[in-house]
Amino acid sequence: MLSRIAQELFWLGRNVARAEHTARMLDGVFQASLQGRPDDPAGVRLGWGSILAIMGSQTDGRPVRRDEVLNRMTLTREEPASVISCVSRAREGARTVRDVISAEMWEAVNTTHLALSAGDLEGRMQMGPYSVFQYVKERSALFWGLTSRTMLRDEARAFLVAGGRIESADMVLRMLRVAMPAPGEHAEGTDGVRDGQALALLQAVGGFQAFRRAVPAPPNAGPVARFLLYERAYPDSVAASVDAVHGALFDADEVPRSSEPVLRLSRLAADLEFRGRAAAEDGNLAEASSLVQSELALIDADIAERYFAGAGAATGTVVA
Amino acid sequence: MVTDATTAYRPQPGYFDEVFAPDGTPHPHAVSLAAEIAKLGPELLTAAGHRRDAIFVQQGITFDATGEEGPVKDRPFPLDLVPRILPAREWDHIERGLMQRIRALNRFIDDVYHEREIVRAGIVPWRLIVSRSHFARAAHGVRPPGGVYCHVAGCDLVRDADGSWKVLEDNVRTPSGISYVLENRVAMTRLVPQFFQHHRVRPVDHYPQLLLAGLRSVAPSAEDEATVVVWTPGPMNSAYFEHAFLARQMGVELVEASDLVVRDDVLYMRTTAGLRRVHAVYRRLDDDFVDPLEFRPDSLLGVPGLVRAYRAGTVAIANALGTGVADDKAVYHYVPEMIRFYLGEEPILDNVRTYLMADEQQRETALARRHELVFKPTGESGGKGVFIGPSTSKEALDGLADVIRAQPEKWIAQEVVNLSTVPTAMPDGSLAPRHVDLRPFAVFGETIRIVPGGLTRVALTEGSMIVNSSRGGGSKDTWVLEEDTGADVPREGDTQLHEVMPTNMPGLRYGSEWTGQQQQQQQRRAEVGRQDPRGIGRP
Repeated sequence: MLSRIAQELFWLGRNVARAEHTARMLDGVFQASLQGRPDDPAGVRLGWGSILAIMGSQTDGRPVRRDEVLNRMTLTREEPASVISCVSRAREGARTVRDVISAEMWEAVNTTHLALSAGDLEGRMQMGPYSVFQYVKERSALFWGLTSRTMLRDEARAFLVAGGRIESADMVLRMLRVAMPAPGEHAEGTDGVRDGQALALLQAVGGFQAFRRAVPAPPNAGPVARFLLYERAYPDSVAASVDAVHGALFDADEVPRSSEPVLRLSRLAADLEFRGRAAAEDGNLAEASSLVQSELALIDADIAERYFAGAGAATGTVVA
Repeated sequence: MVTDATTAYRPQPGYFDEVFAPDGTPHPHAVSLAAEIAKLGPELLTAAGHRRDAIFVQQGITFDATGEEGPVKDRPFPLDLVPRILPAREWDHIERGLMQRIRALNRFIDDVYHEREIVRAGIVPWRLIVSRSHFARAAHGVRPPGGVYCHVAGCDLVRDADGSWKVLEDNVRTPSGISYVLENRVAMTRLVPQFFQHHRVRPVDHYPQLLLAGLRSVAPSAEDEATVVVWTPGPMNSAYFEHAFLARQMGVELVEASDLVVRDDVLYMRTTAGLRRVHAVYRRLDDDFVDPLEFRPDSLLGVPGLVRAYRAGTVAIANALGTGVADDKAVYHYVPEMIRFYLGEEPILDNVRTYLMADEQQRETALARRHELVFKPTGESGGKGVFIGPSTSKEALDGLADVIRAQPEKWIAQEVVNLSTVPTAMPDGSLAPRHVDLRPFAVFGETIRIVPGGLTRVALTEGSMIVNSSRGGGSKDTWVLEEDTGADVPREGDTQLHEVMPTNMPGLRYGSEWTGQQQQQQQRRAEVGRQDPRGIGRP
């Protein structure tokens, strides 16, 4: 298939996934922030400053206000990481590939975009952002549901899915890295702080009940991070996402055995499996997330190189 | 016509109102809340109420009740959107009082089934104890792990006209309602987040963790993680929603009797991988039904041999067998004495004045005042069989007097408490005072932990003091503030907690600078060259 189309599909998947993850994260943090400090377990949650850090927005060091962050990350078109920007980009992408995706998928994306653009969204945010976030989550579920029901399982779908899953993995890793700074990175980063954040993190990705069913340990930082990194049975874990990206590209590639991104992905998947099964290494979880994140960045570059090179890609700036 | 909700509101004379002083100005800790409610206005409050009903029906948070036109099914659980608000100082008092009371009750249960010191000291008559319907001979001489009997307790508190807190009932069998506490809070943060703006409300959502930790701490297990289950009588039970809720939140199995089996005095559950050992059971059914070999032989809900396993110490049951004896309303009368006897302390929370009908002198004095008092059967719960003197006909009270004289040990009488009021939203969005009670939930594991607040039940009919949801009562979210007054919280939704914020997110290199043609065209029109803050390479 055309490189240009493959890349468009890849980014369509990414944008839809990022809109959903951002909405989930904001919703989780918003709900937790309305209430006081939990007295058990003693701890703190992901704060509004952390969200900006996760999304890579500039904070210039002054304290951030809740409403400011909520509006910026949800409604502001000038903020490229906002939910509405993701949805708009997804809509433009879907429009470009209307002929490749099913009509129902296109309609799902387009309606979402129209609904978020029209109407008094700011008023709805004021009244309670829950309804807005819930809408985005539902529409994203609809999109992926339609994808699996109505789209041919071909190369095009493989790139769409690969984009969606690599974005999921990246979002979870970003949240993990903010919630669980490496030991020694922050003087005040006591265990209590990390435990509270881990709990908020689970709630922000919607994995609290899954964690409860899968892991008997209390939701402290270590077990939660292991779960989000390594638990293949949980669909939003990094390991499950990496598997899915691998599967999609393996199917899409003519010669997967000599494809750099596929090879890298299988190595990363095996590495995650090994780390997940090896004896507890909680001390290294922050390091592990960091390694996985850099490896994902390399994979992303390889994907662009191998499949989208003809689409006139430019290389981005390298941030070490 | 739109009326200003707060200025129109006047507390009822003779009752304590928890938000407004008699002159209509809010109490200091509730000033910001009252202002937010006024700012929202009656119309938006009503609109939020409609959204709440829709959400509750969608989520299946409904109940069945008996209305005036017969039974109604699947009604959305009536959550009133005006929260009840308790300052830190008041909650501290309640919490200390409840901990003291639960410690005393637990000592009493242990004593009843072992040394009976309180009987020998002549404080509680043995005859009264053994005649209680929930006294369990099967529990005699069995001491559960840690000596804890009432792992889960929910005492009903009321607030009298002078604002003082009193204990109305001790629920130590299977108190229900905690699921509504958690669901109410979630609904409130979604429907009216602006109410929370100027307060720091203590969260309640850690209850399932407390419960799980409490159950694990009493489970006789050599392994690291004990297997805990929630035992429900089945989907037909009116509290099934709560059973499923707790099992889901704790991530444990929800079992019925047919899933459990006892082999060689050890409890197992039947799984697809064969029998699996169970270490602790949180049971949501009464003693009578747990084991047909020991209690009612006609019980189809029970597990034969469970009591043997319990006696052998291979399984913990919460609440422990025989705990119901402390739930009895005649025993309730003695709780202040228990606190003095076992703990050597003065009770922090008072009882409502109670008269034992088994005592002839108390009985006749009380019956002479029967139009002023409340009469309750001792072994019931949930407001069943209660007669409220002032609102009962003379004929009915005369008939009741005969019933009581025939079986005096099955009845108590209590003074009427003028339940406090909290402003409550009417269908048109205006506020009116309605009577409330409070049921805080405690978990007794290694220590006693109480979830801040609890279930506030509210009588939705004007003047009514019947708060049971099966009889037209509703509920309110209960806020316990971290601070004493609402005035000194500078926060407007900002987090000032120790927030961990990396100075710089180690960036991801995303190679593709590529954007769709459409977007590129748009971008050129917009400014060029801004960096994607996430480093993903899209402006």
